Amino acid sequence: MRRLWLLAGVLALTAGAWASDHGPVFGYATPVNSQYEMSFDTGLFGRYGSKGTQFSTGSQFGYGLTPQLTLNAFVPATFGSGSLPETRIYPGGEWTAGASWRFFHDVTSVGKRKEATGSLALVVPGPQADSGVLGSLARAPGVAGTVAAGMASRSSYFWVGGGYTRFAGKDGDRRPDTVSWSTVYAYRPAKWRRSYDQWDYRWLAEFTGEHTGDVVERGVTVANSRSTSLWLGPSLLAILKNVAIEGGVQAPLYRDVNENIYGRERVRFAINFSYLKYSARPNAH
Amino acid sequence: MKKMIVLAAMLVTAMGAQAEYEQVNMTVFGMDCAPCAHAIHVSMKAIPGVEKVDVDLNTGLVTIALNQGNAATMHQFNEAVEKNGFTHKDAKVVAKGKLTGTAAAPVFEVSGTGDRYQLVVAGAAADVSSLLGKTVMVTGTLPQAAKGKTPERLSYVSIKEAQ
Repeated sequence: MRRLWLLAGVLALTAGAWASDHGPVFGYATPVNSQYEMSFDTGLFGRYGSKGTQFSTGSQFGYGLTPQLTLNAFVPATFGSGSLPETRIYPGGEWTAGASWRFFHDVTSVGKRKEATGSLALVVPGPQADSGVLGSLARAPGVAGTVAAGMASRSSYFWVGGGYTRFAGKDGDRRPDTVSWSTVYAYRPAKWRRSYDQWDYRWLAEFTGEHTGDVVERGVTVANSRSTSLWLGPSLLAILKNVAIEGGVQAPLYRDVNENIYGRERVRFAINFSYLKYSARPNAH
Repeated sequence: MKKMIVLAAMLVTAMGAQAEYEQVNMTVFGMDCAPCAHAIHVSMKAIPGVEKVDVDLNTGLVTIALNQGNAATMHQFNEAVEKNGFTHKDAKVVAKGKLTGTAAAPVFEVSGTGDRYQLVVAGAAADVSSLLGKTVMVTGTLPQAAKGKTPERLSYVSIKEAQ
């Protein structure tokens, strides 16, 4: 019961590693909520490889405490039985709660801004077990931190970001530390720079990478359980006022993965839906 | 006596209703996408007295038309921009208010709102002495103010006695 209260408290306190909202669908980005804005994201994410397929659905809730600080909570559900490497840039089976702080914000001209955002989150194992080599591990909470920086304009967007997740050990087991990074470029052609009450589209090219460390099982490091992979693919984002739909697919550019453990992951895809509820409430001064 | 108090209150209310912003065209920096514009639209529309809001993402221009008798303040417009993480720049306004101060240093009071500006002529020097103490209609530009602040000066291009 005490643990449940602790979990509820953490969720109430509430940055997910998962980028969403109206930014990239795979990579890291800088946008945070407006003050008092509530955001809701839900999506379907898939990873397909030679050792099975893994799907996850996830819903993320965000609340803008100030124009620069957003609280987030992410609740996932997974299905499928693929044996695939740990990932943190992609939603897995962990409940996540944290905060994103836009610590640099430079609005330079009409439609243009440069910004940087950092996030810190507590990652708690969800009720569903992982599959593959990770499925046999006793799971413990972890801490995830991300930083992203970039620029937005009416025509182009560019973001770079990175994240690190470290899990605690439990019963001699420990999930791998994960380092993730991404570079995203987005472009809105001139004919799509329309009035805001029309559909707003943009293309994105998302380049992501991840390195996962050793898996530790009963105090012993599982041999060759590290993995490194690079992914690239296109995404399309469509927004109408406060509703966004986004889809993307990624193919591997580089894989340094033990195929006996994890198989050969071939494709990743994501479809995401966002609803943004802006507040009419004035600031409290 | 009671009737006099009621009459005085009605006069004050009527005078207050005369002093108001009629139109505010504000340039906002940082809006890149549809949700940005939507956020500004929602925030501006929530200000009592705002009748219509248009947002042009390509020029950053937020056009606000206000109802007669409104008491919306410049601080409220600026705050609506700030809470969404954007930056307000200059604003072209059409406002009705009382001209006070002196001919050399006129002050424009949008008395229903509490907003008060030193009037600075944008073009050739104009003699406003005949308008002192009267309700006037001013068209001019408010420069960018620091976050949480409202400008102190209004640079006007036209001033005339209000009908």
